[in-house]
Amino acid sequence: MSVNRRNFLRGAAGTLAAAGVLGSSRPAQAEGRGGGGDPDPATISVPFLGANQSGIYRPDFVQKASCFAAFRLLVDDRAGLQALLQTLTTHIQSLTEGSLVGSNPPRESEIGGLDSGVLGAQVPPDALTVTVGLGAGVFTDSYGLAAARPRGLTTMPVFSGDSPEPDWTGGDLVLQVCSNAPDSVHHALRDLTRATRGMMQLEWKILGFHSGPRPTGAPRNLFGYKDGIVNPAEDEGLVWIDKNSGQPDWAIGGTFMVVRLIRMLVEFWDRIGVPEQNAIIGRDRDSGAPLDGTDETDLPNYPADPDGAVIPLDAHIRLANPRTAETDRSRLLRRGYNYENFGMSRNGNAETGLIFCSYQQNIADQFEATQLRLAGEPMTDYIQPFGGGYFVVPPGVEQFGGYLGEGMFG
Amino acid sequence: MQRLAPATVLTTTTRVGTPLGAVAEQYRAYVGQKLTQLAADVAQLRAGLPGNDRSSAQRRWLAAQLTWQQVGAAYGSFGRLGAAIGGLASGLPRGVADPAFTGLHRIEYGLYSGERLPDLRGSVDRLAADVTALRAGLAKLPIVPTDMPIRCHEILEDALRDHLSGQDDYGSGMAYALTSADVLGTRVVLKELKPLIPAPVLGHSPYDQSKAALDRLDAALDATKVSGRWPDYRSLTKHQRQPVNGAIGAALEALYRIPSALGKVQ
Repeated sequence: MSVNRRNFLRGAAGTLAAAGVLGSSRPAQAEGRGGGGDPDPATISVPFLGANQSGIYRPDFVQKASCFAAFRLLVDDRAGLQALLQTLTTHIQSLTEGSLVGSNPPRESEIGGLDSGVLGAQVPPDALTVTVGLGAGVFTDSYGLAAARPRGLTTMPVFSGDSPEPDWTGGDLVLQVCSNAPDSVHHALRDLTRATRGMMQLEWKILGFHSGPRPTGAPRNLFGYKDGIVNPAEDEGLVWIDKNSGQPDWAIGGTFMVVRLIRMLVEFWDRIGVPEQNAIIGRDRDSGAPLDGTDETDLPNYPADPDGAVIPLDAHIRLANPRTAETDRSRLLRRGYNYENFGMSRNGNAETGLIFCSYQQNIADQFEATQLRLAGEPMTDYIQPFGGGYFVVPPGVEQFGGYLGEGMFG
Repeated sequence: MQRLAPATVLTTTTRVGTPLGAVAEQYRAYVGQKLTQLAADVAQLRAGLPGNDRSSAQRRWLAAQLTWQQVGAAYGSFGRLGAAIGGLASGLPRGVADPAFTGLHRIEYGLYSGERLPDLRGSVDRLAADVTALRAGLAKLPIVPTDMPIRCHEILEDALRDHLSGQDDYGSGMAYALTSADVLGTRVVLKELKPLIPAPVLGHSPYDQSKAALDRLDAALDATKVSGRWPDYRSLTKHQRQPVNGAIGAALEALYRIPSALGKVQ
């Protein structure tokens, strides 16, 4: 997290000027968390232009709200897909910069305006990012893209323990909308779906939230455990597709996105007692420390505990990241959110859990390798993966006028 | 729902004296023809009840319902009689069992819930009387000229809200048939307004865009037919529904621009 935060603050400092352009009277505040105050998240504009899409290697601590929305394409040819990606790019850029999408005041010919008004007349940037991913269904002859399909981009296979529900699985295009506030996420998705109504339709949509530090450190998931403590730093080279990745040139600067919708059986979990929970996770619930440590950032010492006397061999953190030379390159960037859906399961249990989202250079070597190590872990009894998908995230747009995915079309 | 400013409405209560007034009168004549057809459809339905042929009665009900959809009676524009003819059970204390639930959907409910055909006689008689009353009052029915442009998208707003949500289905599953008839009704209004729609600005013609979007909606609807017949909407999967949902959304995003394009026309 620390590396992410430094990167982020550089971005934030660079955008305080943009906040001024928007007429904000809020003064630029001191850098760093707890060091005299953070910039008001409403004024943070995450730069859209760049080699990579900007919503991936950004710290999510100012993005407490999210929506993951997967769509089916209704466009049926190359020109239609290009128009869709151009429309999305234009709108995402406007939304992240905080400019008005329509004109203000609306021209007389646009009674009602083109903006929903949900965020008021001046749309704040609100630390919004919208990440666009494309599913395997995009890379077909209909769009002239069969040859552009990245290696390893398939539909998501069914893993041991999965209970896939068709209504929550797959999609040709995914949007990960993250922001400082739920109304800002709503505003962005509403704008994007309006602009693209005839071109794509929702397959599934789920809202996620991030908890704040309780009381400090990484946010807790709905099992009560600090989650996302360990994420690879950007310069470790585990996330972005590069020229050595064996992928089509257009994908360089992109990444692969894996979304897993994981129902958590919190009622059962709450009945098993903290010692058992700790053994399943491998961390202390209160402090977040590995069971052989005292602080959440302590590194577990597996060589000193070869038989799992302290941290069981099948504990989640030990299987997910054994911290060996062989598994080092299977680490991935997690960008997940908690969810709580409307209503309840048929059995009366809460519909709640984790929107697991990971970014990696290679799905098989990173996500799937990790997933296979976790097969049969004791936590399996308390979770039900039921949806999600595999997507490739195109590189960023480097120059104004370009659009996401432009390189695919050769 | 967007409305033109009240001041605009107040200044255009004349009948034929304005361009929109002329459109409203053309529309009144069109409604008159459709109500004549509706009266004939209802008479057919009534005549068939004693034969106790349920599927024939269902076909005759659908013919009447589709004629009514083509009238384009969006947003309660025909007042009490409109509600009596085409109203839903929603909002009624006893729902489908409420005596105030009358008209085409009440008959649909009876035909598809196993109600004895002779027992539907009262509902059909009542419908026939309401259609007669609406025809008789049509000449004096206030049609606000400035409502005509709004009707361009309101008819399909109703289709999206009521048919494609499944909320006005009382057993027939004919949401796409009804939506298709609504497209016809929308096309009539759009065609009447065409001469008044200003020339394209920067190549964007609200009329051309609307017409093209309606063509795509019709194509998406037609593609759902199986052997020339409308599918039972309630049995369709999400993937089967998405093309129509997308096409009607795109059509509405084009049609909603017509009222503002006509903002200065009276």
